[in-house]
Amino acid sequence: MALLDKFASTAAIRDQLGADGQDPTDVVIDQIISPTEGLVGGRHTILAGTNNYLGLTFDPACVEAGKKAIEEQGTGTTGSRMANGSFATHTALERDLANFFQLPYGMVFSTGYAANLGTLTALVKTGDTVLLDSHCHASLYDGCQMSGANLFRFRHNDIKSLEKRLQLLGDKTENCLLITEGMYSVLGDTAPLAKIVELKNRYGALLLVDEAHSLGVYGECGRGVAEAEGVLGEVDFVVGTFSKSLGAMGGFCVSPHPELELIRYVSRPFIFTASSSPSIIASTHEALRQLRARPELRETLWRNANHLYEGLKALGLHLGPQVSPVVAVRLGTKEEALSCWNRLLEAGVYTNLMIPPASPGGFSYLRCSVSAAHTPEQLERIISAFADLKTQLL
Amino acid sequence: MNVRFDKIENKIKELLASYLESSGHPELEKHGEITGATNLVSDFTLDSFQVMEFLMEMEEAFDIMIDMNNLSNAHTVNELAKVVASLLKK
Repeated sequence: MALLDKFASTAAIRDQLGADGQDPTDVVIDQIISPTEGLVGGRHTILAGTNNYLGLTFDPACVEAGKKAIEEQGTGTTGSRMANGSFATHTALERDLANFFQLPYGMVFSTGYAANLGTLTALVKTGDTVLLDSHCHASLYDGCQMSGANLFRFRHNDIKSLEKRLQLLGDKTENCLLITEGMYSVLGDTAPLAKIVELKNRYGALLLVDEAHSLGVYGECGRGVAEAEGVLGEVDFVVGTFSKSLGAMGGFCVSPHPELELIRYVSRPFIFTASSSPSIIASTHEALRQLRARPELRETLWRNANHLYEGLKALGLHLGPQVSPVVAVRLGTKEEALSCWNRLLEAGVYTNLMIPPASPGGFSYLRCSVSAAHTPEQLERIISAFADLKTQLL
Repeated sequence: MNVRFDKIENKIKELLASYLESSGHPELEKHGEITGATNLVSDFTLDSFQVMEFLMEMEEAFDIMIDMNNLSNAHTVNELAKVVASLLKK
């Protein structure tokens, strides 16, 4: 039994999470009504924690593309691309993604997590060095740790902290990869990529940027924060996901370096995973077309982001540092956050509960992600629910 | 070496006390004096994010970089002091 004893502490945490009502890690949405509404426990609930930034999950063209792919290509690929071969639709999506980023090389993975693991474990090895922003996602940490490279963190969005580490590395900077995100997922703040690019050029390092949350959100054409900062052409590897703005599942890496094509041969998370099913590839590809053809989606998203941020700010709540489609309300203890999360759910508003150690600075947060599909009325209901919460609990 | 090691260990104790105070951590008074055997996780219930934050404080204080992959056996103040001492020798 000793092997299983380790789960006792996990069971205690789970019981604690469920003590105040619903366990936030075990929410079941009985019926999805739209990109922004579902039935939870028989109650109509506004979904304010989906990362469905452009609201494309029910887009008729995306749904039709997925249906057509199932009818024409079947339900799955039943194996990895290296062993079973690629479907033409996989390679077409890779070409279009690279084209969208105005880069020559693109590669598709089965999940966003696999994209980071697959890229990093191939890109850096024992003897190489990684400098990682301290707020980076777990998939970036895991990829670095699995790679065997020396792994150092710098303070979040702190250029001086990054430069200090580059100085300490001395002549090892040519074997150094810098890693940041575009928009960070918990607080919705963005990386100072123009300054980071300046440093990477000065010290001769390479730069990987994870635009998982910023694809479709930032930049004139929706390419992400690197585009918005005017440095997309100087980023060495852009990784991202299909599971947020593109409304499906999967991940990608695009790059100006021809070596990306060689990563296919050495990336175990790519080689030993079944490739994405035809319907996922088809709806993702259609969502990418929608993202490019309908900039008004981004305009609506930002109008909604401003609406929610300003509404919650007017309540005197402590929010993230900048207006963003991720609006995080900072709270105190885990217990307080859990209680607030439950009261919001009872009021018909689903948010994401973020508690340490998954949230930065030892604080707990109720995280909202805004969608272009949210109506002004839904946003007002979210603000109203927070106002009630503030009166009752905060 | 011993004198220097003691200095390193004492500096880490000071940094830890300062970190706990500045982060408003409730365990400091309860635990009392920080010793070489103080375990950051089991004695002070620092979560993984706070441990990483504290390590960055140490890096800046000693002007070193600590490889995240070399920390699996460093849980106490004394063990962290050994990591710092080995980096300062390089």
